[in-house]
This record gives sequence, C-alpha cells and structure tokens, in this order.
Amino acid sequence: MDPAPTTYYVALSGLLFAIGMMGVLTRRTAIMMFLSVELMLNAANLALVAFARSWGDLAGQTAVFIVMTLAAAEVAIGLAIIVAIFRQRETTNVDVLATLKG
Amino acid sequence: MIAFLLLGALALVGAVVTVAARNAVHAALGLVGTLLSVAGLFASLSASFLAAVQVIVYAGAILVLFLFVIMLLNAHQPVTGRDPVPFVRELAGIGGVILAGALAVIAFSYRDPQPLAQGTAALRGGTAGAVGETLLTRFLLPFEAVSVLLLVAIVGAVALVRRPAPQPDGVTDAEGVALPGELPERTAPEGGVRA
Repeated sequence: MDPAPTTYYVALSGLLFAIGMMGVLTRRTAIMMFLSVELMLNAANLALVAFARSWGDLAGQTAVFIVMTLAAAEVAIGLAIIVAIFRQRETTNVDVLATLKG
Repeated sequence: MIAFLLLGALALVGAVVTVAARNAVHAALGLVGTLLSVAGLFASLSASFLAAVQVIVYAGAILVLFLFVIMLLNAHQPVTGRDPVPFVRELAGIGGVILAGALAVIAFSYRDPQPLAQGTAALRGGTAGAVGETLLTRFLLPFEAVSVLLLVAIVGAVALVRRPAPQPDGVTDAEGVALPGELPERTAPEGGVRA
C-alpha cells in the first residue's frame, strides 16, 4: 500500500484552513469564531507534520507540539475573556462588542 | 492511501459542520470529529506521539473547555439579526475558494526533497522519545519560553474570571443590586465555586 503523497496532505490542510477562515469571517459569536480559529490551527499543524515526514526532520513535529501548547494557553485565556465579557454584557456577539470602552 | 481518503473526508465533513452548524454544541462536536481525524492523519504520517497528544489535549481538554463555556453561557442558540457587513457570506465564500485554490496550487507544485520512505525512516516513528530529544536539544529555548507562557496564561485566566472584591461598605451588595462585573441572578456566596 502506497503512503499518500505529501501534496495530498498539504492540499487537505489548505482546504481545512480555508473552511476555518470562512467560519471566522461569517460567524457572529466570539465562541464560534474561536472554534474556527482552532480549525485553522489544526490545518497548519497537519501541514507541518506532512512536511516533517517529507524532509525526514523531527523539527516539524516538535513545532506542532509547541503550537498545541500555545493553542491550549490561547483557549484558556480567550474563553476567560469571553466569560468576563458575557458577565458584563450578556452577549458574545462581536457586532455588539464593537466598542473599546469597558 | 485509503486511510488518508477516509480520514480526510471525515475531517472535511467535521470542518463544514463546525463552520455551518447553527447550534454551537453541534459545531463543537463537529470540531471533535475533525480533531480526531487529524489525529489519525498524524498517526498515518508516523507522528504517533503527536496523534496521542492531539487526542488528549485537543479533543480531550480544549474541546471540553469549549463545551463547558458554551453550556455555561447558554450560548448554543444561534444569533439572530442582520449581518452588519453586506454580502459577508458571499465575500467569505469567494475569499475561501480563492485561498483554497492558491494553497492547492502551492501544494501540488511541491516536490519531496527525498523519497518518502527515507523521510519516514528518519522520523523514528515520531515517538515520545524521538520528539522529546529534539524538544530538549534544538528547541530548548522555545520549550522554556512556552513554560513561562503557560504560567502567564494560568495566572491571566484566573485573574480574568475573578469577580471584583465586595465593597467595604457593602452598599451595592446589601441592596441586591448587581455589581457591574457580576451576573444579577448569581447568589453563590463569596469564595464559592465559580466559573
């Protein structure tokens, strides 16, 4: 059984990234935008792992590990911000939250 | 190859559900499908440690946190109202197609620098030992920086969801008027379990 070539993985990663970008642009609540950003992060991770196999270099996989850590930290902070905003405004619709005043 | 096609199709379906679902819980569950499929793709790329981490950290911890917040904020019903930007869906669709096309052109113009079998052998299966060796030699500085970042994130998350301390005179609390920073229906005592 032939392994799938790198190009297929990278193309799939590009598709996932584009879908995630459409989600960020069209969804109106902060949580849904956040979910789409996670999708985009995963697409980038997939490309990194595919290139790691292509070059036979573990640096790609290690970078993905660090990106996952960053994503975990980002989610913790982001969801905390969303909860704090929701307590104050009772909404997470980003169109309503379009002001910098606290 | 068959594994790639199956997992890739699953990942795409999950991604579309994530982006298109009206209900936020359904969207989060679609993302779980995508994350698990990507974990399978990692395994097929001989990144066994990353596949495990993907399931544990992403599908386990991060998505549970997401579902927690979605249910806590009762945010699973769709937002109604008009989009402030006209044609935002059409524009996003066109932009997404252009982006996907550009990335596909880049992907299919890529040529492997060496035979795939050679690269796969050099990865040593992507086990925890192999990745950890790279992490603690070539990636030592990012590794330490990430540890500091995680600490900052923990402190920041705790500081963000902390409710403001009650006023010394207790005027606002005693009259049952909500402080600006708290939900009006919240009745839990100070120091109790909070979100």
